[in-house]
Amino acid sequence: MIDILIEVLSIPFVQRALIGALLIAIVASASGTFLVFRGLSFMTSGVAHAALGGAALGLFLQHSGLVPWFDPIIGALLFSVFVALVTGYAGETGMTQKMEVAVGVSFALSMSIAVFLMYYIPPTQVPQIWGYLIGDLLLLDNFDIVLLAITAIVLVLITLVFNKEFIYVSVDMEGSICHGMNARAYHYLMLITSALAIALATKAVGAILVYAIMVAPAAAASELIKSIRGIFIAVFVIALLSELMGLVASFTVNASPSAIAGILAAFSYVIAMQIKKLRDRVSIDLDQFPQHDEEATLVLREALDTSAHEGHDH
Amino acid sequence: MEQQFLFEVEDLAVKYPNGELALYNVNFSIKSPTFMAIVGPNGSGKSTLLKTSLGLIKPVRGQVKVLGYDSVRENKKIRKLVRYVPQRDRIGLSVPLKVKDVVLMSRLLKKPPPRFASSKDNEMARESLKRVNMADLWDRPFPELSGGQRQRVLVARALAGDGPILMLDEPLAGTDHESQDMIVEALGDYRSEHEVNIVMVTHDLNPIHTLVQDVLLLKNTVVGVGTPCDMMDVDLLKKIYGPTAKVVEYAGHKYCVTHDSGVDRHD
Repeated sequence: MIDILIEVLSIPFVQRALIGALLIAIVASASGTFLVFRGLSFMTSGVAHAALGGAALGLFLQHSGLVPWFDPIIGALLFSVFVALVTGYAGETGMTQKMEVAVGVSFALSMSIAVFLMYYIPPTQVPQIWGYLIGDLLLLDNFDIVLLAITAIVLVLITLVFNKEFIYVSVDMEGSICHGMNARAYHYLMLITSALAIALATKAVGAILVYAIMVAPAAAASELIKSIRGIFIAVFVIALLSELMGLVASFTVNASPSAIAGILAAFSYVIAMQIKKLRDRVSIDLDQFPQHDEEATLVLREALDTSAHEGHDH
Repeated sequence: MEQQFLFEVEDLAVKYPNGELALYNVNFSIKSPTFMAIVGPNGSGKSTLLKTSLGLIKPVRGQVKVLGYDSVRENKKIRKLVRYVPQRDRIGLSVPLKVKDVVLMSRLLKKPPPRFASSKDNEMARESLKRVNMADLWDRPFPELSGGQRQRVLVARALAGDGPILMLDEPLAGTDHESQDMIVEALGDYRSEHEVNIVMVTHDLNPIHTLVQDVLLLKNTVVGVGTPCDMMDVDLLKKIYGPTAKVVEYAGHKYCVTHDSGVDRHD
């Protein structure tokens, strides 16, 4: 048994998958958590699709010969930053609803650009655009791993240094500005780093896994856990476990590990909601109700008496 | 020493984001230090005046100076002096911040990153929570508190900070009497111990009118400015609250009775 395990673990693509899973869990914990705190879980899919539009632009510029050096990944990153900027601009006053609308609009815009440009790209190249959304843990190459590792390291560093600022901006934008913090800068920093991380992670492991892992574990953890640090750890654990179980399952069931990991992560949210419901039901403790106040009854009776005598002309 | 002014406002006009005129022809000055109330009904431009003075909104005409600093050009300097309490519903509840983290905000926001809390910061935070009788809830998640408790924590946040101006936007709105009394008492005590300015936006002067020194009656322009007792004038109050406004005298103080008891808000 152990022999087989060691043998499996020595296969390079399995090793890459495991490292990839670990790195994606880190990205989910450092970036996904803030997006859920900010009420911006929809931004993940918005950015990933915007990256698609950017990739299309990159391919178009390359093949039309206008800007031959323009790699699709540059286009993808530019477009994801564009979404972050539009979203950030809409949310400068700290209102989440406006940001969600901005995500939706910029997402629609970049998808339209992608579809528009597809007519001008040689048909043989079109699948390369869609390839941006499709990826898999088992298909990672060394370049993907390097890309993911750099993303994760930069993201963790930024989060470690600026986590208080990101939280203050999420909780009380107005107050943060009025106390003299440059809240606007941190607001954009948070959105842009998240957007870049999402775009790079999508390039590496594919959209399905990124959607599921960036949003569901953070949503599940913030339903149940009441400390910020606890949520970060829980998100990492849920994300990593979903991915590992996805990988293991994909060896027995003939299916993509990303899809299984996505399903498991989504389930963690459903389960968290159920646990929360149960917990709320159990925690109503009858002893906590105050004793009936005798004096209040007396005062009420007196009040009723006097008003009966005086009469009332209402 | 030269007399300092908390507010010097000249010919101020400000628009709401929707283009309507929020404030026009506003002229007044208030000497520092003071406990000041900005009073008016919903939509009278009270919060807008506060935000303009902090440089969050640019005036379309005129200017505001806070302790001599211009709100547009020198708003960074103003913000170094201010501890601000926004309207309670502007605080996001999706992050499980602890009560202590919220109170520490006013101190940590004025530090450079990484904004670690020193033992002095913690001590100040604890002390100010005691003032509003919330010290026991130090480790509780802020979003789980009741509305009144959250408001008390936010007032404690202002009390824990440094800086000569406290600005509170509707700190008594939607709170029960226990919390109201606690907040008013805490502010009064704090003011008697420290030489600070307190500016409170409220649609109801009654709970604080024995404490305040200056009252600005506002209905998109200045209706009156003076001591609380001068402002408790039926004709003045009718101008801002309409014909239903009455003044009642009780225990040597005048109180205002109106049909207005809404919560003011503008997004």
